[in-house]
Amino acid sequence: MNAWELIIQQPLINVLIVVADALGNNFGLAIIALTIFVNICMLPLTLSQLRSTRAMQALQPKIAELQKKYGKDKQKLAQEQMRLYKESGVKPAGCAITLIIQMPVWIALYQAIMLSLAVAPEGLLNLSRYLYNWSQVFAILPLNREFLGMNLADQNFILAILVGVTMWIQQKMSTTTTPADPKQAQQSQLMLWMMPMMFTLLALSFPSGLALYWVVNSIVRIVMQYRVTGWGGLRRQPRTETAPADKGKKYVDFKAPMGEKRSTDDVGADIVIRDEKGLIKPDKKRYLPGRDRNMKKRKK
Amino acid sequence: MRKRTDSKKRRGHVLKLGLLAAMLIIIVGVSLGCVGGLTPIGWSGGKVADGTLFVGSKEGRLVAIDLADESRLWAEPLSPDGGGGGFGCLPVAGGGCGGSNKVAIYGTPAVAGDLVYIAGYNGKIYAYNADNLATRWVYPREGNLEPFAGGAVTDGTSLYIAGNEGKLYALDAVTGDKLWEYETGDKIWSTPALSDGVLYIGSFDKKFYAINAADGTLKWTYQTEGTIVTTPLVADGLVYFGSFDRYLYAVNIADGSLKWRFMGQNWFWAMPLIHEGALYAGCLDKQVYVLNPASGAEIASFDLGGQVASSPVAVDKYVVFATRKGVVFSIDTVSHQLKQLADYEKDVDGPLTAYEGIVYVHTSELALERVNVLTGAILSPISLESQS
Repeated sequence: MNAWELIIQQPLINVLIVVADALGNNFGLAIIALTIFVNICMLPLTLSQLRSTRAMQALQPKIAELQKKYGKDKQKLAQEQMRLYKESGVKPAGCAITLIIQMPVWIALYQAIMLSLAVAPEGLLNLSRYLYNWSQVFAILPLNREFLGMNLADQNFILAILVGVTMWIQQKMSTTTTPADPKQAQQSQLMLWMMPMMFTLLALSFPSGLALYWVVNSIVRIVMQYRVTGWGGLRRQPRTETAPADKGKKYVDFKAPMGEKRSTDDVGADIVIRDEKGLIKPDKKRYLPGRDRNMKKRKK
Repeated sequence: MRKRTDSKKRRGHVLKLGLLAAMLIIIVGVSLGCVGGLTPIGWSGGKVADGTLFVGSKEGRLVAIDLADESRLWAEPLSPDGGGGGFGCLPVAGGGCGGSNKVAIYGTPAVAGDLVYIAGYNGKIYAYNADNLATRWVYPREGNLEPFAGGAVTDGTSLYIAGNEGKLYALDAVTGDKLWEYETGDKIWSTPALSDGVLYIGSFDKKFYAINAADGTLKWTYQTEGTIVTTPLVADGLVYFGSFDRYLYAVNIADGSLKWRFMGQNWFWAMPLIHEGALYAGCLDKQVYVLNPASGAEIASFDLGGQVASSPVAVDKYVVFATRKGVVFSIDTVSHQLKQLADYEKDVDGPLTAYEGIVYVHTSELALERVNVLTGAILSPISLESQS
């Protein structure tokens, strides 16, 4: 047995089996209990990671400004970014380091789940290598894999979908701001969908015991995320953000897409008037070429 | 020019995302890859009849090896039912993994007359002509049962086998028609033992059963505190089997009463063996225990340094064991000397086979390793890889 198996995998497997035994030989409940327990143990690390991520996201507009300003001078850009991080008290490596520390624990936990499931006969035989000399550990195996009408050794479509949904919610909550750079925004949008979809596919391919672990893990993370950032990216975002200086002003938006060349009579159709709350109803305020807006006044 | 730069950048982004996805797949794949036992591979032992060794290969085929000239014959591969999905490896009825359609074979083939029988993890039982390996019959003819992780036993007229459905089946050995079935409380992985018209088998329901082979009626049961997967051994009015409660049991075959039990530090997975008046039992606690078969008193124990899952064989005055790491040992039953014969450095989980002083070891690879117990000579392995 190597160090990884001895220090991390073996204790986790035995704890998982003992918990299953304590919960009436219910492996599903054991997975839920252990996932929650491990999450609680990692709470300080997770919270620090979430806070670092939030701080990093809050700095995004300033970083975008710096990128605009020093886009060509990469060295200067890096210097300025570091200065900004220092001034704001943000450690950019913090997120990554916390994630790196957490990663082995998550990997060990899902390896422990897969090993304890002992899906194939070879799995049960392999499991015997990891057992402590505790009488209840030996006698309870193989674990009861029935949970809420599912066999945790088989694939389960509903759990796989739940994996994707919960992961998407968690990811969406963690993206509190949209990157100013449209390419970055597009990339983060892709990531938002890619990860949940990939894990859904993985969940469809592996025993549902693993999917149960992913779902519980995502739910716990959602709760933690809520405590730190609230609903985050799930909150309805205003369509456009206006600077405080613009408050109360009405202005003309020329960003409406230009179609094919039109006559000068149509020009006004592309002019949209709005205030900080959003669009002003076009039938009331929109300029319609060829019509005299002051006709009513003049008639009077 | 600008368009070209934009498309280059876009391609760069796509590449980055692709790399990220690939990394994720690698992380998940490697992490799960480290978890052994997700895929059913099989560990069939060998059976020798008239100088021909029959074994189920890890390609999911029955192989017949003429031990005189080492010529081999392969049966048609067992057909999987369903398949592993996506990236994963699930022991579906077909035993497929990530698109693989090899059917795992765990049971040792049974031979009677001109027929050879084998059961697959695809939930089917096959009978082949021993001389050309042409299929004689398949049970069930339509569809599949739950996987079979044990082997069959036959008296020439009936074939007895049990599977994951928890049922012990009696089939007509010639036609494959079902004669009777007996249902236990859970899955069965062990091969039944047949002695004097009584079948002995253990189940995942922690009970050990004695069933009349003629009509499938229950004779007695013995309750243990753990799952039973060991193939039982019947000798001198006792039946010996191991249980997941870590005990090796000796039960009277007449009435199912306990004669004695012996505790190891892990499961007794392998079938024990009686030779020269002593019982040899390999255990997953890496020990081989030598016990008095009548009283269960410990005579000696040997530390093999590795778990013992494969059933031992007797050759002359030696009892030969293999560890799961592929180290083969012989124990001299007279002097109680332990001797290492070979170290194959490959997984060995299936039963050993002995014929004319040579022990055949089915390793995790597609080969039968061979060692001459009497001379200690390691012979070249016999490949089980099919030509087609």
